[in-house]
Amino acid sequence: MDDKKKLLAGILLFGSLWGFSEVIIGSYLNEIGLPSGVIMTGFFALTFLVISRIYYKQPGMQLGMGLVAGALRVFNPFIGCHVCSAIAIMSEGLIFEILWYSFSFDLKELKTVTMQIGMGVISAYVLYVGGYIVTQILTPIVSGAGFFVENLIVFMPRILASGLIVALTGAAMLPIVLQIRNLELNVKDRLYYPATIGISIFCWVFVIGVWFFYAV
Amino acid sequence: MRAPMLMGKEKTIPIFAMIILLIGIFSNVYVYANEISKDTINIQGQEYTIDQLFGLVSTKTIIIDDSEISGASLEELVLKMYPQCSSCSQFTIKAKDGYQQTVSWEVMKTGILTDKYRVIFADTAHSFWVRDVIKIEVK
Repeated sequence: MDDKKKLLAGILLFGSLWGFSEVIIGSYLNEIGLPSGVIMTGFFALTFLVISRIYYKQPGMQLGMGLVAGALRVFNPFIGCHVCSAIAIMSEGLIFEILWYSFSFDLKELKTVTMQIGMGVISAYVLYVGGYIVTQILTPIVSGAGFFVENLIVFMPRILASGLIVALTGAAMLPIVLQIRNLELNVKDRLYYPATIGISIFCWVFVIGVWFFYAV
Repeated sequence: MRAPMLMGKEKTIPIFAMIILLIGIFSNVYVYANEISKDTINIQGQEYTIDQLFGLVSTKTIIIDDSEISGASLEELVLKMYPQCSSCSQFTIKAKDGYQQTVSWEVMKTGILTDKYRVIFADTAHSFWVRDVIKIEVK
């Protein structure tokens, strides 16, 4: 029971941090002309997903994080596609679960740097391209305008091409993120819950507050 | 049982990573080799400059994310170019980079074409917007 509570608090914390970074940092990067999708997936999403996997060692957690982050992304106060971004984030959580399903929770398979770089390339690319494709399919369906497969097919080379830089970012990021395995982090219950809930509440209040400020 | 699986991953992960990098590289080569460079928009087989299109129809203003955006009315444009089938068709808007979106007449008539070659629709997900438009066709 206690483990379940801890896991739920962890999902809320990491999902909120992911959603917060997507909304606030992602929107800012977009505004200054940087490729926000590339940076958000290759750097932020991959980092949050892998760190949560290392610390909690629970299947299904990353899907939950995707749902929380996607829900928070709907409240994006800035210009952008709210529905498509939320769908992309949620699908990234699911894709990560599938991709990392066969790995042990201590990630002993990723001992060598070659394996870490390889898995960084695969994870970042599949997350980004997969999320992109799912968005292209689901957004027209969700919005009721209808999905046309030929629109996706003709755009596939561009989608596959855009994932290259994300793959390279993932190759650089994963070996760094995996170093966290060597850190011993023990947080006592009396600090764990206030910290996780507090940070999560801050993320939601901040994003919804900014959204409210811009909307009104 | 675990050792062979580990060995399998040691081989397959680098191979899959290489395949992915090659897919990315070849896709980039393909995209740049096939990129279209032109400043006109093809409608019903005819090429039009943006100024010509703005001269053909009136300007319409829509409100998107609390800001006003103006452009040539797509409703008027379609009625002028395709008078026979405007309300009974679907329209595909194609971009330089291969991106394209197909919309119904109901969506099409809410849209505008900006002077930056961008098609924007009111009240739709932003993924329906198309940058660097080069062609508008009836399906």
